[in-house]
Amino acid sequence: MARRRPTPVRNKRKKKTVDKPVYFDYQFLFLVMFLVALGLVMVYSTSSYTADLKTGTPYYYLLRQGVFGAVGIAVMLVFARIDYHFWKNLSMLMIVGAIILLAMVIVVGKAVNGSSRWIEIGSIRFQPSEVAKIAIILFTAHMATIKAARIGDFKILIRVAFLPMFATALIAVENLSTAIICAAIIFMIIFVTSPKIKQFVLLGLAVVGLMGIFLVVASYRMQRIKVWLDPEKYEDGYQTMQALYAIGSGGIFGKGLGQSIQKLGFIPESHNDMIFSVVCEELGLFGAVCVIGLFALLIWRCVIIAMSAPDLYGALIVVGVITHLSVQVLVNIAVVTNSIPPTGVPLPFISYGGTALLCLLVEMGLVLSVASRINMPKE
Amino acid sequence: MPKTFTRKKIFVCAIMLMTAFTFLIGRLSYLMIWKSDYYLEKAEALHQRERSIKAKRGVIYDRNGVEIAGNKPVCSVSVIHSQITDEESVVAALSSILNLSEDTVRKKVEANTIREKIKSNVDKETADMLRELGLDGVMIDEDYKRYYPYGSLASKVLGFTGSDNQGIVGLEVSYEDVLSGTPGSILTLTDANGIEIKNEAEGRIEPIPGDDLYISIDVNIQKYAEQAAGKVYKAKQAKRVSVILMNPQNGEIYAMVNVPEYDLNEPYKLIGINSKGMTDKEKQDALNMMWRNFCINDTYEPGSTFKTVTATAALEEGVVSVNDTFNCPGFRVVEDRKIRCARTTGHGTETFRQGIMNSCNPVFIDVGARVGVTKMYENYEKLGLFEKTGIDLPGEANSIMHKKENVGAVELATMSFGQSFQITPMQLLRAASAIINGGKLVTPHFAMYYEGKDSGERHVFEYSEKPGVIKKETSDTMRELLEAVVAEGGGSKGQVPGYRIGGKTATSEKLPRGNRKYISSFMGFAPANNPQILGIVMIDEPVGTYYGGTIAAPVLSEIYENILPYLGIKADYSEEKLKETMSTIYIEEGD
Repeated sequence: MARRRPTPVRNKRKKKTVDKPVYFDYQFLFLVMFLVALGLVMVYSTSSYTADLKTGTPYYYLLRQGVFGAVGIAVMLVFARIDYHFWKNLSMLMIVGAIILLAMVIVVGKAVNGSSRWIEIGSIRFQPSEVAKIAIILFTAHMATIKAARIGDFKILIRVAFLPMFATALIAVENLSTAIICAAIIFMIIFVTSPKIKQFVLLGLAVVGLMGIFLVVASYRMQRIKVWLDPEKYEDGYQTMQALYAIGSGGIFGKGLGQSIQKLGFIPESHNDMIFSVVCEELGLFGAVCVIGLFALLIWRCVIIAMSAPDLYGALIVVGVITHLSVQVLVNIAVVTNSIPPTGVPLPFISYGGTALLCLLVEMGLVLSVASRINMPKE
Repeated sequence: MPKTFTRKKIFVCAIMLMTAFTFLIGRLSYLMIWKSDYYLEKAEALHQRERSIKAKRGVIYDRNGVEIAGNKPVCSVSVIHSQITDEESVVAALSSILNLSEDTVRKKVEANTIREKIKSNVDKETADMLRELGLDGVMIDEDYKRYYPYGSLASKVLGFTGSDNQGIVGLEVSYEDVLSGTPGSILTLTDANGIEIKNEAEGRIEPIPGDDLYISIDVNIQKYAEQAAGKVYKAKQAKRVSVILMNPQNGEIYAMVNVPEYDLNEPYKLIGINSKGMTDKEKQDALNMMWRNFCINDTYEPGSTFKTVTATAALEEGVVSVNDTFNCPGFRVVEDRKIRCARTTGHGTETFRQGIMNSCNPVFIDVGARVGVTKMYENYEKLGLFEKTGIDLPGEANSIMHKKENVGAVELATMSFGQSFQITPMQLLRAASAIINGGKLVTPHFAMYYEGKDSGERHVFEYSEKPGVIKKETSDTMRELLEAVVAEGGGSKGQVPGYRIGGKTATSEKLPRGNRKYISSFMGFAPANNPQILGIVMIDEPVGTYYGGTIAAPVLSEIYENILPYLGIKADYSEEKLKETMSTIYIEEGD
């Protein structure tokens, strides 16, 4: 075994082109592809019945999601080839662009389900907040890398975080949960850059305290807490109860793929945020744990890439992506299982949503790009 | 490589993250293992819909097993757009077999709805033709519709059923429990809009058909009675004509007629009334009136037929004997009131027997006074005049009588000849049954027994009978007296050649008095010495001659002429005797 470890091909390439990618993380790619495929299967399973009733074709949502998935994977592979340092100088432009788009969405956005989160250009409709996440990751990582040495300084910290936080604030106007995710991304990037710990712990505690006060003060949110604690008692608990019915009726091995009944209109738009409950119903606890396991593996893979990234910039990009991915997975599953009060966060890769999938795959491309530049330990 | 503290921080965060995942898995395990049954049950309650399958309603047969209320299998044909594979042949088949225009069918077939009904109430043969074609997407649902093969026959007795085959009036209501059966059900899974999901396993509970009911009505007797009633209804331009024929020995009712009858297969179609321009309430009232059974739902002043009760009470109390003599000057003064006899010139001196034959009011006023209020009411009580008869039809009315303490001499006098109180014809007939059958108070009824469709088990209905409410001797005397009424007295037109008939006529003026609106009636039984059948004919508001003895008695006579031989009752005397009777001089009766 030991004799075969140094592969001649890799050695050859390394000699020829030192700065070119030398490594491609196929394990990571496999996990991503698997999740995208699983997402398509689940989107079809959850949406086909209602799609057939509404649009006359059961494939309506599958086709749209499929197109985004295919384009997304292509884009991911392109991003994987591009040196991530290329984005360093562009990130300022990107964050400013994102802020403009977010401002636009507030002014001219298209309302879907009561909140305007969309911009329509011709027939293309997209969510600027998803694009903004990429910009926030790249820009914060870039700024943190530049100011890494003095990031303990509060003024420097403000300079690093100002633009991303501004974008986050704009997102918060329409979509609080996405804003929280963005804030978490910024927080995590700065946290790992800074050598300090105490301030961050205090900051974290302060945020939790503020949220508590906010909940008590805003009575409509307090109502949400009541519904959360006892969803069966309240009319607003309908969606939560439907999700719980689906999860509970799945049992250990589930009803079988495609056999969900809760998706037949009981769970409103079951292909969106609540898709995990249908995964539970159809694939059972076994399937649900497998899906969580896939996410855990993917995230763990990202963690390894971040820890062995060639430089701080690369590591911070990956930390941003990890934060984005893990917070969304955690929040989504926690909401679906009624572990936390309900909020609308899609499940990465699996929930229906073209822009989200595309942007996520772009982020995966960035991670792959970082991974490809890892210096393999010399034999 | 990032600095060590960065890597450490990333690692610690990652560990925390994985811990969070573990917590979520724990939460999922709790929900999906421990709470699984709880949520599964709740979810199923949400998904399952019970579609009930109607049970076939029990058939109603007459006493000879002739079906008088049955079920007609009907089908409804509908299409499910998404299941249709060959649209053209579906359109062609449906339009040709169901006799519909191709355009209408095509429109429905092409409609992108869940389920489109093409035609309902399709008879079974047609539906079977369609079923044999086995077209995808064409659904045929079976159902039963109540069907009355004789149309209007005994309509006010049988009643009819509603859209769910539930009884609405008549026997269909009384025996709902026997007839209705137990509906079955199909358990299906549905989506959030209640639309059934295909290919989901169905649970099915078969319906249990209702039991078959056998009633005492005889279709032939009912038909004769309806014909005779219909004839006089037309001839006398009456408001209505009612006939009841029953067995006085056990209370079985052979026929109950209320002309005009209505078509049971179209119970919501008003007869003889133009429903245009009527408000819904007016129409409903008219329908209720049309469905009403006057023999039991309404009370009336019986008039002279009630003299049988007075006579019975007098004989029972021993205050009069058949040959006691009375004097009729054409009226009787009671306290301050002068009460007239039907014959204003008076009957002169007459025996009690002649008083009955003449239907002489003064005789009965005297007899009633002899009995007295207390004893009179005791006899009413014994003859069941204060209670409902217990007949097995819904909505039976009860008598309207003076309070005993309010009865003075005038009231007693008028009650003695059947006025100033109200009873139902059925109550009168029940009392008369006891008077002529030897003193047994029976419960008039229709239902005899019911039989389980599959089991064939027979359940006989029991009805209460009170024997000995009057003495046998009184009953014997009454039969003889009533026979004399028909043979020689005012009921002579109730004679039936060859048979010994007993009876009593009545002509009662309807309230308010002075409108010259009458109810003419004749109550008669045969054979007089051993009554097997007791009947009453009541003509409500006849035009022209209104004496019961003149217009009602011949109707019952005609009916008896037909049905006595049919019932197997042998003629009692020969042609010679008949001629003798024919020569008897009739005395007009009335009051």
